[in-house]
Amino acid sequence: MFKRKSSLNKFDYFNYIFLILISCITIYPFIYVLAGSFNQGTDYMNGGVYLFPRVFSLDNYKMIFNDNRLYIGFKNTIARTLIGTPAGVFFTAMVSYGMSRKDLKFKKQIYWFNLFTLFFSGGLIPYFLVLKTLSLNNSFWVYIVPNLYSVFNMIIFANYFREIPEEIHESAVVDGAREFTIFWKLYLPLSKPVLATIALWVGVFHWNSFFDSMLFTTDPKLQTLQLFLVKLIKEASLGQGQANIRVPAHVMSTISITTVRYAAIVVSSIPIFMLYPFVQKYLVKGVMLGSVKG
Amino acid sequence: MNKTSSTKFNFPVFFMAMLGVVFLVIFNYLPMFGIIIAFKDMDGVINITKALVTKPFVGFQNFIDFLNDKYFRDVMINTIGLNVFQLVLSFPAPIIFALLLNEVRHLGFKKTVQTITYFPYFVSWVVFGGIVISMLSSDNGIINVVLQKLGLIKEPISFLANPNYFWSIATVSGIIKGLGWGAVIYLAAIAGIDVEQYEAAIIDGANRFQRMLYITLPGILSTIVILLLLSISNLLNSSFDQIYVLQNQLNLDRSEVIDTYVYKIGISEMRYSFTTAVGVFKSFIAFLLLWGSNTLSKKYLNRGIY
Repeated sequence: MFKRKSSLNKFDYFNYIFLILISCITIYPFIYVLAGSFNQGTDYMNGGVYLFPRVFSLDNYKMIFNDNRLYIGFKNTIARTLIGTPAGVFFTAMVSYGMSRKDLKFKKQIYWFNLFTLFFSGGLIPYFLVLKTLSLNNSFWVYIVPNLYSVFNMIIFANYFREIPEEIHESAVVDGAREFTIFWKLYLPLSKPVLATIALWVGVFHWNSFFDSMLFTTDPKLQTLQLFLVKLIKEASLGQGQANIRVPAHVMSTISITTVRYAAIVVSSIPIFMLYPFVQKYLVKGVMLGSVKG
Repeated sequence: MNKTSSTKFNFPVFFMAMLGVVFLVIFNYLPMFGIIIAFKDMDGVINITKALVTKPFVGFQNFIDFLNDKYFRDVMINTIGLNVFQLVLSFPAPIIFALLLNEVRHLGFKKTVQTITYFPYFVSWVVFGGIVISMLSSDNGIINVVLQKLGLIKEPISFLANPNYFWSIATVSGIIKGLGWGAVIYLAAIAGIDVEQYEAAIIDGANRFQRMLYITLPGILSTIVILLLLSISNLLNSSFDQIYVLQNQLNLDRSEVIDTYVYKIGISEMRYSFTTAVGVFKSFIAFLLLWGSNTLSKKYLNRGIY
């Protein structure tokens, strides 16, 4: 191991100060919105609210919870995350199991067929037209079905499955177990760390995506939370007003669109804020797993 | 290995792998064949499958239209300019960050810095971009307040209303959001370096800076080269979410990139053939860039992706 120097030298001091500075810059934007979201709107516009709310108020949150689009957004985003994550992880894991087996016929060809898609794509419009032909556009399933399978995640799963001792598979075959049973009852329980990591990645993807909602759906009932937020941010920055919000008059007089936007930002990030500290290590693990063979 | 199991056709295993193939045929390979749309005139058609058969080929007309398009020059300048700008500044940032983080011996401090700096990566660009917009606001936004307090500017600047600031805003906000997470892969690579090398260097009297320069950096060079090559091949792929959120009517001159342009005219205006041609053009350039940079890298650094 390294020799431990007992004292810190000049470089260390510079380094610690620099890293603390970077951390502050990274975390500050979140403190900024949090403080603003709990401040009274008209008061906020006088400036000076940078760390803590000055005139504490929950009106921004009341206002945003008055907007029906928030509920629709939450409903769709929660639904796609809760359905899309297990479905995507299960489907990809099952394909990966097949891909990881040594006795897979045309293994090499199937691998190349998978890898090719990482380097070439038909582009947005043909993809859109395929979804349209399948009647997936303007349907909730456009959030689920096209995200069932990921070649990247397949590679990570398959690498992990290959590390599982072959004896486990052999003895199960001797006991008369079918391949699917081996996958479901033996391989999946043995792959909990990688399952957790991939599930989190897929979950974060579902929670954060707005692209598919914006492109492939036009029905306001299918709008996801992030798309609602995009609209709120864009409308406000262009000064178009909030036609859909029903607001009590006494609230309206002290409200500002800026602080309402902050409240929406905070509300839509709550699951990420709350889960992040606990799941961080699993998310990091994913990069490690992926970089082993990559 | 069990000999019988490797020679016999294992149907369940084959079936599971084929589920992935079927998925890719539908969602990846069908769109690839859809490239022929670029060589036909199908703008605005409703029945696509029928139009694919009945519409005549028009050769490279859609590509010529793109080259003559009035937005072509701006869109290309923005796409390449913004990405080169971002590549030059935001590519080295996580490497430097990982090297500095690696020098920290206090484990608790290191973990805390990591936890904080990884976080913005997991919030969406909508959330982060929304925060960036309000921090840059000329209406008491914190950036303007700080700049005024420091005496650097007299009047508040409406940063996002001026196209000239857009590239800097996109780059800096991108660095802040991705810095910590971008360092993870380098930290993993550093962790893989043989400890004996450091021990030998210490015995030879190398100081910390020399060890960083002659052991750590060469140790992660392969990782750096691979990620650099991938970034170069992605030069025409903008971060759609980021650009789209930060973009507005006033900064469009410097914020309209191929991806946002394709979205706007392709789907909103239903100009399918024209935008597919733009997409094909983009893939073609990306392929040339990957091939070119990989060839150069193989020649001079003896490293490449393939």
